[in-house]
Parts: sequence; C-alpha cells; structure tokens
Amino acid sequence: MSATEQQVQSHIQTPAEHAAERLVDKSADDLLQFVICLIGSEEFAVDVLSVQEINRIVEVTRVPKTPPYVEGVINLRGRIIPVLDLRKLFGLTGAAQTTQTRIVVVSVQARLVGLIVDSVEEVLRVPKSAIEPPPSVGTMAGAEFTQGVGRIDDRLLILVDLSRLLLAREAA
Amino acid sequence: MSDEMQEILNDFLTESNEMLEVLDQRFVTLESDPNNTDLLNEIFRAMHSMKGSAGFLGFNHLVDVAHRGENILNKLRQGEMAVNPAIISIILETIDVIKAIMADIRGTGTDSHVPTVMIAAKLDDILNGTTAPEAPVATLAEAAAPAKAEAVSPTPTVGAPIASPPTLGEILVNDGLASKEQVLDALTAQQHQPEPKTPLGEILLQAKAITERALDQALHKQEKQPKPAEEDATIRVETKRLDSVMNLVGELVLGRNRLIKIGTQLEQQHESDPQVRVLSETLAQLNLVTTDLQLAVMKTRMLPIKKVFAKLPRMVRDLSQKLNKQVHLEMRGEETELDKSVADEIGDPLVHLVRNAIDHGIETPAERQAKGKAGEGQLTIAASQEGNSIVIRINDDGRGIQVEKIKEKALAKGLISEAEIATMEHREILNLIFLPGFSTAEKVTDVSGRGVGMDVVRTNIRKINGSVDLESEPGKGSQIIIKLPLTIAIIQALMVEVERSIFAIPLSTVIEAVRISRSEIKTINGREVLHLRDRVLPLIRLAQEFDIPTDANRERFYVVVAALGDRRVGVVVDELRSQEEVVIKSIWDYLETVKGVSGATITGEGKVVLILDTSELVQNAQAWHNPGIAA
Repeated sequence: MSATEQQVQSHIQTPAEHAAERLVDKSADDLLQFVICLIGSEEFAVDVLSVQEINRIVEVTRVPKTPPYVEGVINLRGRIIPVLDLRKLFGLTGAAQTTQTRIVVVSVQARLVGLIVDSVEEVLRVPKSAIEPPPSVGTMAGAEFTQGVGRIDDRLLILVDLSRLLLAREAA
Repeated sequence: MSDEMQEILNDFLTESNEMLEVLDQRFVTLESDPNNTDLLNEIFRAMHSMKGSAGFLGFNHLVDVAHRGENILNKLRQGEMAVNPAIISIILETIDVIKAIMADIRGTGTDSHVPTVMIAAKLDDILNGTTAPEAPVATLAEAAAPAKAEAVSPTPTVGAPIASPPTLGEILVNDGLASKEQVLDALTAQQHQPEPKTPLGEILLQAKAITERALDQALHKQEKQPKPAEEDATIRVETKRLDSVMNLVGELVLGRNRLIKIGTQLEQQHESDPQVRVLSETLAQLNLVTTDLQLAVMKTRMLPIKKVFAKLPRMVRDLSQKLNKQVHLEMRGEETELDKSVADEIGDPLVHLVRNAIDHGIETPAERQAKGKAGEGQLTIAASQEGNSIVIRINDDGRGIQVEKIKEKALAKGLISEAEIATMEHREILNLIFLPGFSTAEKVTDVSGRGVGMDVVRTNIRKINGSVDLESEPGKGSQIIIKLPLTIAIIQALMVEVERSIFAIPLSTVIEAVRISRSEIKTINGREVLHLRDRVLPLIRLAQEFDIPTDANRERFYVVVAALGDRRVGVVVDELRSQEEVVIKSIWDYLETVKGVSGATITGEGKVVLILDTSELVQNAQAWHNPGIAA
C-alpha cells in the first residue's frame, strides 16, 4: 500500500478523530472532505463520509443484460455488491487495470456500491466556496452524475453525485 | 409515545397475536374433547395473562371483552358450565373481536374503534345462564347445601379470575377428588387456625375428605404446572440479525477453507516441522468448530411447521360449517422444522389448498353417504422431512378429480391444443389445473374458484424453490404433494460453464444432463430443438441468452434438461463443472431485474457465481413454443 493510500485509509477509518479535528479547526464548517480518485488524467471527488472502504481490484463477475458501465458484482466479505466503472459512466476511453486500480466502496442510501477507479490519490479538504455548480451545458459526458466542480489552485475536481448513480438504471 | 412504551406495546402485540393463534387451535380441540381440564386451564391462563397486559397498557375495551370471556372460561374449568358448540362459537367470536381490537391497536394505538357491546352482551347471556349452564360438578353436595355455596361464593374458586398456577384446592375440585364444599370447609378451618397453619392437604386428610393417594396425585399435578419463568427461556431476535450472523459464518467458512488449503501445502513441504504439525491440529479443531457453528446458526432460523399449521383447524371448522360439510382434520408431523423464510411463504398456499380440498374435494354428508362413504370427510395434512426437503401431503377422501373434465376445460379455455393433450400422461393432465386461468369449479363461490388460486399457489411455491404435484382418483379423493427446500438460503446447484463464465442451476429443477454434438441440434420454425428419446426439447443457449461471445466452431455441448412441472427445456452449456451446495444471496435490486438470474452465490474460492432462474428460462422457452399458453 502506498503512503498516500495509507493516509486515505486512516482518514476513512477514524471518523471519530475527524470529528475531533473538526472541532478544533474553526474553519472546518466551511470545509468539505473528498476522496480524490484519478481516472485517466481527470480527478474525481467522492464525499469522504460516503466512502466505506477502498479495496484493491478483485475478480468481478459480469452480470448479463446490464448497462455497459455496470462492471458486475463482487464478494465483499460475504455481501454481494454491484461494481460500476466510473470511467464508462463518465464516457472516458478505456485503460487496462493496473496495480493502482482500486474499488472505492461507497454507501448510497444505505446500499453499498463499488466504483472502479484508476487510482486513489488523497483525501482533500475543499472549502465550500471553491465548489461551483456543474457546467450548465450538457456537453460533458456523465454530466448527470456530476454534482459540481471544485477548483483548487489549478486543479479541477469533478464532484461525483452518488445519489444519481442509483437513478442511472432507470435512465439506461 | 416514548420509544420504551412503543417497545412494550410491540412486545404485547406480538405476544398476544401468537397467543391468539394458539387459542384458535385449542378451542377447536376443546370442542372435540370438552372434558380436557388441562386444555381449559391453558386457555384460561392465556386469556388471563393477555387481560393483565392489556390492563397494564390501559386498553380498557380489550380488558372488558377479555374479562367477560375469562369469566366464562373460569366457569367452564370449574365445571360449572359444560362445553358445548354454542359456547365455543361465541368464544371464538370473542377471539375474533379481540383480534380486531389488536389490529386497531396496531394501527391507531387505541382500542376504542371496535364495537364490543354486542359480544359483551352475548357473553353476559351465557354467563347469566340465559344459555343454561349444564351439569356442574359435585351436584349432590351443592344441592344439599345451596345456601352455603352462595355464602362463600367470593372465594377464589368462583367467578373472580385467579392467577396461575392453580392452587391445590382447585386441582382437587377440578379433578373431582374432593367436593368444593369439603375444600371450602378445610380452607375455613385453616383460616381459623393459629400460626403455623396445617397444610390444606393434611386438613382434608384428617377430615377423611380425600385419600392419601388422591392427595399425592393432586400435589404431583400441581408441581407439573408450567411455571411462568419458562417463558424466559427464549428471546426474540430480528431475522435480519440472524441473517448477518449467517453471512459472517459464511465468510468464516471461506476463510477456513483457504487456511486448510495453505495448511495442507505447508504440511507437504515441511513434513517434519513440529510447528506445522501443531498448525494442522489447530486447523482441524477450527474446522470442526466452524462446521458446528454453521449448523447451529442455521438451526436458529428453523421453526416447527406447527406455527404454519396453527391456523388451519379453525379455518377447517368455520369453512365446513359454512358449507354444511363434515370434515375431520388430522395433522401429522407438526414438529417438522423448516427455515423461517420458507415457513413465511408456505402459509398462504397451504390455506388455499385446504380451502380447495374442502370446497371442491369433500362432498356433503348426504352425497358421501349415497356413495357409501362415512358422512364425515377426512382431511389429512402431513409434514415430514425427506432428505434435504420438507414434504407436505394434503389428502382428502372426497370426490377426486376427473381427468376428462380437466381435458374439456383446458381445451375450451384454449390453454392447450388437442395434439398436445394426446401426448400427455394422466398425471400431466391433472397438473394442468395449475395453469393460469384454469378453474374447474362449476360455480364461483366466495370460498374458492376464482381461477387464480392454483396458479398462484404454484407460483408461490416455486418462488421458494419448491414444487407442487397433484394425484387424484375419481370417487376416492386427491393428494397434493408439496416439496419444499429445508431452507431457502441453501440449495444444491449444478455448476455449469459457458466461455469461462460459471453459472449455477438449482439442482431441484434439473432432470438430467446429456452430452451432444453440434449436429444433433435441429431447428423447428427457426428455433433450436433437440430430439431426446422421442421428445422434442426446446433449447436455450445460455451464451445467446446472456450475450456472451462464443466460439462458433464448438463441436461438443452439454444440454442440461431442466423441468418445471411438466414443462421442459434444454439449457445448452459448454461444460459441466460440479455439484455444490450453495448459499443463495440476493443481488442488489439495482440488478435484480435481470431476466433469467434469480440471485448469486459465493463459491469456496470466494468468487461470485450467478444462479439461474430456471422457471423464467423455461417460461421464455415455452412462450415461443406454445404461444397459446403464454397468452
């Protein structure tokens, strides 16, 4: 496990610590925390509170007659959860799985869903003021899954709208 | 309402509902065995404790009704009234009112919406002797000293409700070992005694009111009375929690399997290392414990089928009275255990089948006698465990089913063609009654015969991987055989492979598997079929069904013949892998709608394998082979 990843894991696994940190940090109210995932060269941000765990890629069982972005199902310690390919969801072109490929397990409305990403970078604090609504013109693929855009220095974060992932089926 | 209060209320409702279910059954038994004092006492105690809880929670309407019912029960068990059908009917009615009140409480939190005046009046009528109480015990003694009996009437033995367990005096009187007067005399004598008082039994002995043997008998009986504390031997657990324990145990089993594999490898490599030997011993121990744990967890989900059967006696009684039929219900194998999820699903189909048997099967007494049968029809429901299945047989000795009638009906309704009927066996024709839209009832009654029943019965039973089969002999009766899995969660499955993807087919639906070559697959009307021993078997290629890219030049295939009732279909796969016991897990509803997949399982290596929904595959295949049936 890389250093950044350990940092990510420790952030996720100790929500209590987080809370404490937030109390100390006066400006915490205005900060949101995101797990930053990389797909190709684009950075996607997932709300840290929704992330249950980050796993290495495991063998995914394909499920027939599902939309292309549904990669299949995996065994998460006895629970069978669906895995979606964020790359396909956002219409990006494919890249092979590497040792950096991860499954980010998020909890959406009390259900677990895995998201395949190229790699997980870090947990980032983003001031609320840096977040803008998604571009209004629907030219961007996967615009419907974008909650907003975060600008930090010269980085552009795409905030993933997890609740939309559930609705994706109906759209498909 | 506070959470705590809500919890108490929920407990009360659950407990009372269970109690009411038992009561229904007890009353019906009581009707046929009116002198069973144990039974009466049991009923009385149930009613009494429900009244107590209702009083505590402030449901005064409920208390009122329960109290009146209890008064009558008390008279019955005191022998001051005799059990007769009129009284039982009114008490059953009382139970119905109580059930309605319970539903009211569940829905609205109060008990004031259900009218209770009518039932209260009826109960009072009985209590006041408008329906005359018959044959009290110890008639002679009472007749000799009526004044005395009245004078002491506020003693615990008359009228007023008594908390269980019964006193020695009650037992003596109830069992006719001593008269009420003798006991009352002794009690009075005891009251006048200075401390320490002589025990009641000894006073009675001294007064020569009872023999020593009678006293022993009564004391023994008193000890045998169930103590309320026994109820604490069980606790209620949410099924969800058990499911998560089950899940975790499943994972533990996987972990153990992997450990054992590693252990075996180490053993081979380092045979002489004492540490390795210790490791394998520990693994063997872990293996045993895990297996036991898995079994134990499965057992926690099992309940006796009695729970499902409980509502039947009352239903049979009411229904046969309504239809003017005489039916004797016999239930066997009530202790047979099955998984809770199976038990939950089988109740409705069972009720429907029993209704059908009484409505369509069993004739009126006159009709039966004309045929030389006993006026009372026999209905037997027997449950038993046969291997990995639970089998429920419903037998009636009614008029049976005439195959000709079924043929006519099926043809008339266009459910099947002449040509098809010609090739069908007797049993296959009988089972046509399970087709959607089939009903042989000459007139539609409110009991059964809307033509949806049998179809729904079969669908529901299949949903839990069970099967239902019908046998019948005209004039002699019918038998319905329901086969259910021991648990829904675990099934035997045949693992098949298509282009390196593995699928599980529930073994209960598999008839056989045959190896064929490509040339054996023929086409009729553009659909692939296989001639298998004079039968034309429609084929489904799993690869096509699931859009799996395949090697078009493959020469050899396996055909898994799957059946659902009388419909068969061949599932074409590349390879057969193995037969395995698999734990069914639901796949998230995101994917649930996938046609032809009913769930998934996790194999020993931790991989996810999809379980095929054979019924859907068969139906799809039938749809294009027999458009008439699909319509």
